[in-house]
Amino acid sequence: MKTGVYFCNCGTNIADKIDADAVKKQLEADGRMSWFETCPFLCSEEGKEFLERDLKAKSPERIVIAACSPREHETTFMRVMEKAGMNPYLMQMVNIREQIAWVNKDPAAAARKAALAISGALGRVALHEALQKEALEVAGAVLIIGAGPAGLKAAATLAEAGRKVILVEKSPVIGGLPVLFEELFPDMECGPCMLEPLMGEILHGRYAEHIELITLAEVREVAGFLGNFEVKIRQQPRYVDVHQCIGCGECFEPCPVSAPNPCNGNLDEKKAIAFSFFGGLPNAPFINPALCTRFTDGSDCTACSAACPMGEGIVRFDDREALLERQVGAIILATGACLYDCSRFENLGYGRLPDVRTALEFERLLASNGPSAGAVVTSKGLAPRSIAFIHCVGSRDEAHRPYCSGICCQVAFKFNHLLEEKLPEAQIHHLYREIVTPGKQGYALHSAARENPRSTFRRYGDLAELSVAEAEGGQKIRFGEEVEIAADLVVLCPAVVPGADARQLAEMLDVTLDRFGFFEEEHGRLEVARSKLRGVYLAGACQEPADIQRATGQGTAAAGFILSEVIEGRTIELAPIFAAVDAEKCSGCRVCNSVCPFAAVNFDVERGVSAVNGVLCRGCGTCAAACPLKAIKANHFTQEMIQAEIEGVLG
Amino acid sequence: MKNTANNSPTGTEIAFPGEFEPRIVGFLCNWCSYAGADKAGMSQIPYPPNVQILRVMCTGRIEPQFILKAFERGADGVLVLACHPGDCHYKEGNLRAAQRQAMLSRVLEQMGIARQRCRFDYVSAGEGEKFARIVTEMVAGVKQCGPLKP
Repeated sequence: MKTGVYFCNCGTNIADKIDADAVKKQLEADGRMSWFETCPFLCSEEGKEFLERDLKAKSPERIVIAACSPREHETTFMRVMEKAGMNPYLMQMVNIREQIAWVNKDPAAAARKAALAISGALGRVALHEALQKEALEVAGAVLIIGAGPAGLKAAATLAEAGRKVILVEKSPVIGGLPVLFEELFPDMECGPCMLEPLMGEILHGRYAEHIELITLAEVREVAGFLGNFEVKIRQQPRYVDVHQCIGCGECFEPCPVSAPNPCNGNLDEKKAIAFSFFGGLPNAPFINPALCTRFTDGSDCTACSAACPMGEGIVRFDDREALLERQVGAIILATGACLYDCSRFENLGYGRLPDVRTALEFERLLASNGPSAGAVVTSKGLAPRSIAFIHCVGSRDEAHRPYCSGICCQVAFKFNHLLEEKLPEAQIHHLYREIVTPGKQGYALHSAARENPRSTFRRYGDLAELSVAEAEGGQKIRFGEEVEIAADLVVLCPAVVPGADARQLAEMLDVTLDRFGFFEEEHGRLEVARSKLRGVYLAGACQEPADIQRATGQGTAAAGFILSEVIEGRTIELAPIFAAVDAEKCSGCRVCNSVCPFAAVNFDVERGVSAVNGVLCRGCGTCAAACPLKAIKANHFTQEMIQAEIEGVLG
Repeated sequence: MKNTANNSPTGTEIAFPGEFEPRIVGFLCNWCSYAGADKAGMSQIPYPPNVQILRVMCTGRIEPQFILKAFERGADGVLVLACHPGDCHYKEGNLRAAQRQAMLSRVLEQMGIARQRCRFDYVSAGEGEKFARIVTEMVAGVKQCGPLKP
């Protein structure tokens, strides 16, 4: 086999320590080397031209390059080989600079070591295969799951760049949690007002034609990989034509049935045809089939439809569940988070005592479109004389969630500020484990709460020190042995935890969850908008508890990644260093399926053997090492190549 | 089993006269420990020349047979260096390697190969000094063991 060795002197870096002639002499006896060329700087323009010329002139079958670390210039030389018409995988680099010349004082020892290393490479490179890069055409459309601030921002960014967006939202409205908040920390901006321009862009803006919004829907199936995902989406019927409805609400009044409204923490009731809340977008109600008598009793009630000023056909009782199929090149998960279940804390009385509320329920009490039209009242309809906020319910707690949720302090201090206006006489208590308000704006509400003469602050060590019990006219909170705090209303600030459907989505997509159940980012500091799975990106609180600032920033970042790396019509080159199963040898034991960190090895039930998906495979070779029958070949790192290298370096 | 290189195909003389110079094969992963070895080079930290480095993409690729093969072909020691737990480029290949190592070290003991002849450790891309220290310790340890007899 015609095998050339190219020895780079790297100026004096290598030449001063390793005598090329001595190496050449030691290798000549071996007989596997067809020629040995030295070059002053192989990576320089002259060096690369020399290499290209020499390869063209001598047409070697394999080459070995002894130079710097392959981490530095392997790809440089592979490109030269391609230019010279040679397959770039028919080369092995030997690191004689970083790992020999620079760490050895004795030139004789350095030359011996270099000769042995090159000998290993000669053994190995003879077995190298001319691997071919596969190319894959990319679909430009993007699926975004979740239409909260993160998903909306990503959708708007992608649509503006001309990308087709499929925005799937499980609820009837968009905007996520903040559209329920009339005032937001840190500067009391109105949530719906702030998000309305963005939501308007999505629904009716200049680039809205690029966005397909699918509400009341969830993703049921995902197959494929970066550049080519096949997605199945199940959409529940709304029973109202969202495009023709003008959102006047005339249909609500005649509806004969109602039930507690979960959107307002079940503090009021809602008809079978209703908005999620007033002002929600898209501005069209929906029928709850679990409540409407047409679906529950099979009645022929048409009260809502009859009241519609737009005439017949706007309310559509014959609307059906739909299964939609879409093809996309990338997916953004922006499914948000939810709050920790406070009923786990028996001592805090949530769910047992009517005036113990979560921060989210309290938020609805404050809202003008909420159950009390913005009046802060107890379950008896009275203005509370005292309100206690219990911070860190579940956060910074080893028995529950060890992390700080990062937003609850600001929410509680926002409430403090709003109560100064709404109930100027009320006493406010903050019971906290830690107070955390980072950022250039985070301090203001905290400072204001501290300066409020009717606010008190008490730090507890463990939530177990607190117990909330019914007392005359409200509740009392016992704090340790001695302290007793009267509170007509107790508001709990729960930890932010992963959404209920995170696990199911993770399994469907094969993306990983972190130990808390949030979607796991590719890297905690550098790549938070990327999941560990190529082509799937993360935005907002589904990755980590987030405020709106962080969520929208991450949504934009995810869109940016997609715009730069998932481009329609372009092909994605796949490095051929992946594993492959020899179906003849495979016994179907599936050990490889379980060790693959990227779910790239799957079992083919029909054939009874495992197979590697070359797109998902990243070429670590763990499956090849685990296979008891040696039925898996790790391209470019085969058993034979590594053993030949071992034999070579041992001389 | 050979423990000097006098009859090697390259004709190289490895053993220095008078002193036993062990031959050690080091399996290093591309992303952390190989980069750590490069870092030792960039920092020009000298260490003994006895370790021949083989690069794999991940220590998860290392089959126990590779290590046995190295001993069979005359290595006096084998070094396996992985990314630190949690830093693996492939999430958990280093942990697979650690599991295999735990199993293999029992087998090696049963074969009469002393524990210090096969070392598993973690070296990050920044730990050039640690890499040089591990090599130095390894070479000294294997020298104490002497040549590996068949």
